[in-house]
Amino acid sequence: MSSTAARTPSRAGWSIVARQELTELWDSTRGPGVLLGFSVLLAALSYLVSADAGINLLDARESVGVIVQTAIALGTLTALVISSDAISGERERGTLESLLVTPLHRRDLVIGKLISATSMWVAAILVSLPFVVVLARGPGVAFDAVIVLVVAGSLVAAALTAFGLAISSLAMSNRVSLASAISIMLLLAAPSRLPGVTANGVLGSIFIKLNPVSAGLRLANEVLVGQQGWADHWSLLVSPAVAAVVLTAVAIRLSGRIELGDAR
Amino acid sequence: MPTSTNTPNRLHCRGLTVKYGEYVAADHIDLDVAAGEVFGLLGPNGAGKTSVIRALTTIIRPADGTATVAGADLSDQRTLRQRIGVLPESSGYPRSQTGLSYLRFYGELFGLSRAEAGTRAEQLLDQFGLGRTQQRISHYSRGMRQRLGLCRAMINAPEVLFLDEPTLGLDPAGKEDVVRRLADIAVQDGTAIVLCTHLLDEVERVCDRVAIMAAGRLLTTGTVDEVIDSSAVPRTSRLRVNPDDVAAAHEILDRLDVVEQMQFDNARPGDLDLRLASVTSPTASSQVLTAIVAAQIEIRAFETDRASLNEAFLALTTATGAIS
Repeated sequence: MSSTAARTPSRAGWSIVARQELTELWDSTRGPGVLLGFSVLLAALSYLVSADAGINLLDARESVGVIVQTAIALGTLTALVISSDAISGERERGTLESLLVTPLHRRDLVIGKLISATSMWVAAILVSLPFVVVLARGPGVAFDAVIVLVVAGSLVAAALTAFGLAISSLAMSNRVSLASAISIMLLLAAPSRLPGVTANGVLGSIFIKLNPVSAGLRLANEVLVGQQGWADHWSLLVSPAVAAVVLTAVAIRLSGRIELGDAR
Repeated sequence: MPTSTNTPNRLHCRGLTVKYGEYVAADHIDLDVAAGEVFGLLGPNGAGKTSVIRALTTIIRPADGTATVAGADLSDQRTLRQRIGVLPESSGYPRSQTGLSYLRFYGELFGLSRAEAGTRAEQLLDQFGLGRTQQRISHYSRGMRQRLGLCRAMINAPEVLFLDEPTLGLDPAGKEDVVRRLADIAVQDGTAIVLCTHLLDEVERVCDRVAIMAAGRLLTTGTVDEVIDSSAVPRTSRLRVNPDDVAAAHEILDRLDVVEQMQFDNARPGDLDLRLASVTSPTASSQVLTAIVAAQIEIRAFETDRASLNEAFLALTTATGAIS
């Protein structure tokens, strides 16, 4: 084998990284462990909102709304945890330098890791679907619930996964990366918990629509609990969609600024 | 094997300067390493060795200077990276992967097909004694991980191999094995090897030439002998004459400028321990012998101990204040 001539990779760099990352995520305790935690939480919540009438203070539609919103929030969080570890984790474990001295383009490194982290959300959807379908069958909103989960949830998850990766590219410590990403996610999710009057006011409404996380969660509430049609609330998908595109572009753009960190 | 006009330089850098803000980590470094040469880059902690390696492997951008590595300019990063192998000092490893999948991944990053990368990975695992390919890296000993790092650095059959402390964590037999393999790789494959290590015994055995850095500056470059000579470490000699002649010999040698220090060995009458100014006066040993022979004193033995690279290293770096 001669290294003299620069060889064209047999596959795109991002697909090589994605496959390796997916294997590393799912063929270890990390991916399955996080998914198990997610499943247990969702199962416990589903039980609380549906099984015990004495505890359950919600009607059937509200129960579905709570489960879908929780699945989106927690599922997104799992993908965020994985993506915010993606680059800073390599840096901290001392594996980044070996990657940076290969011909792999840094953009491909980020795209491959983005795909791997997104798989966490896909797995979260798959785990959530049975809970959502069973709960939503009673009030007859199973179709809407699944669509909200898949469409709104995927846009929010894509936005936050890219956001976590962007932070991970810049943060010199894994702890900083993880803490920053989760804090900002909680900050973004908080407005969806605003009291009804504030949230329904003009400013509150605009703020919720501009915030991709609260917009996605609000959509689930309006469609599943408020019994309002998609046509009235499609605008709530705009900010998650824009955030997904913009933050993915930012994460890829920031790949050029990935540095080793411990230069001296 | 010193560089010559007949041997193409695989690494050539001039005035390479690395700065972190105002701090100058490497100051106008000039290096040449030929194909098939093992080159030792030495220096105390903080000397700037790792900064030089990181600049030459495109990890950090130098503030000044030019360099070509394996025929590629530093600005042509992708081509350069395709042709080099690097084992960083504090290299980490994904614990959940097997050695085979880890190496295959790197092979693919260097443009090999999955099948080619697998074959190459198996060859290297066998070559470095890591043949149990289904074992996860988490079960590897430190020495095994270090050897795996060497395999990874060689997955693309590099033209230039940068190794930062490659024997770290290895037992004596493991160190010996790696050093022997490095020498073989340089000779058989014509790979230029840049070796950073604190183990100067290894360097003395395996390196064709060495450079010593301290405080970001290059203090000296040359063969091990040249570097020892340039360090001005005095050589010690032992002269043995008939015990009856030892006083006369002492008197004669006392008059020679090249003898800096002299003392009797009370345990062995007839022996004189000499410290010669061998650096400033390369003919010091000859002058001593000539003077003794001229005085018709019978010489029973004369031995000269060569200064070690370790002594030279300490002398050079202490002189710069890098080591107190």
